[in-house]
Amino acid sequence: MTEKLPRSVIEPKNPRLNVSRGANLPHVPGIRVGHYIFLSGMGPIDPETGERKHGPIAEQIRTTLSNMQHMLESVGSSLARVVRVHVVLADLADMPEMERVYCEFFPIDPPARTAWSMQLRFGNGCEIECVALAS
Amino acid sequence: MSPRREVIVASPLARDRASSADRAVSTLVKGGDFLFVSGLAAVDPQSGERVRGTTASETRHILGNLKQLLEAAGSSLDKIVKVNVLLHSMLEAPNMNEVYARFFPDPPPARTVCGARLPDDAKVIIECTALA
Amino acid sequence: MRELIAAPLPGLDLRQHYGHHQSPAIRAGGLIFCSGMLPIDPGTGERRHGTLTSEAHVIFANLKLLLESAGSSLERLVQVHALIYDSIEYDVLNRVYRQYVANGPPARTVWTAQIEAGFKVELDVIAVA
Repeated sequence: MTEKLPRSVIEPKNPRLNVSRGANLPHVPGIRVGHYIFLSGMGPIDPETGERKHGPIAEQIRTTLSNMQHMLESVGSSLARVVRVHVVLADLADMPEMERVYCEFFPIDPPARTAWSMQLRFGNGCEIECVALAS
Repeated sequence: MSPRREVIVASPLARDRASSADRAVSTLVKGGDFLFVSGLAAVDPQSGERVRGTTASETRHILGNLKQLLEAAGSSLDKIVKVNVLLHSMLEAPNMNEVYARFFPDPPPARTVCGARLPDDAKVIIECTALA
Repeated sequence: MRELIAAPLPGLDLRQHYGHHQSPAIRAGGLIFCSGMLPIDPGTGERRHGTLTSEAHVIFANLKLLLESAGSSLERLVQVHALIYDSIEYDVLNRVYRQYVANGPPARTVWTAQIEAGFKVELDVIAVA
């Protein structure tokens, strides 16, 4: 009988980035299971205030990916260990700007990625989720 | 032991690096037991050019490329565990499915299909996770 | 090795009922990858259109059946993509969703997408085997 993989909750060191707890939503920032970390989708949240931080899409992408980096580093992982990313944009026209900023965060051996556009909540310009290898 | 992460295929457009310049995406990444394949749009594997056609023809191109990609990495279509299909319109789901069914032997992988706004006028984008 | 998780009840076999070329779920690497679960009657396979709330209840009941037949459970969910037809129903989704994940919810991303057959909600999940 194969042992069940251990499953635990991932939380950011910065509590302001724990959106699910702050807003009492039925999810967690991420789950670690075996060697993998599955993060919930993240939007552009100001790490200083915990509030949504909008503005140009480049800044929203930068904020979101920085927060994702913090989330992974909080549990001993990193952006370099990300294997898959989903980038959802509210506006397809923002793709080039997204690409430009995204490159900065994954300069070497970037993860697999699928990017597309959907209606997003709260006026967010982007929502990004990922799967990463744990530490 | 920490699981290995390895980029297996940086880009399928080996001859046409220019179009993937500035795109920080690896087509196929190995992590632990699984291979993670980026969302694929229809591309001619020889020229690297985007292929624009019907949803059915784009599906055929994508899955043909996926087959080659996985086999080159020591995997195969029958090792895929999960597929996500993004369509520009869910009205095209049966057309996609008819082509899709020809590629996957039994038992087919788990799958989720939905409609969204796709980049670069793609009619369909397919991503998957496979066993290495 | 990947293993097929067959439909525990005939209605959940979408391949038979709708020609969808997919398995209900696949087990591999200690995880269970489920096909997007829809509000269909698990016995007959008939579509159960309704409100987002009623559809979500059917979906969760189906997921419970499927996962438990495979030795897993809703408590062992790892990641969910919750597809909803319009983001205006976000709060409605949360209200029903939280009833099923009270003890340690999984990671989640909500996608506002076009769902098949005009359904209002679909759940795409990964669980621990």
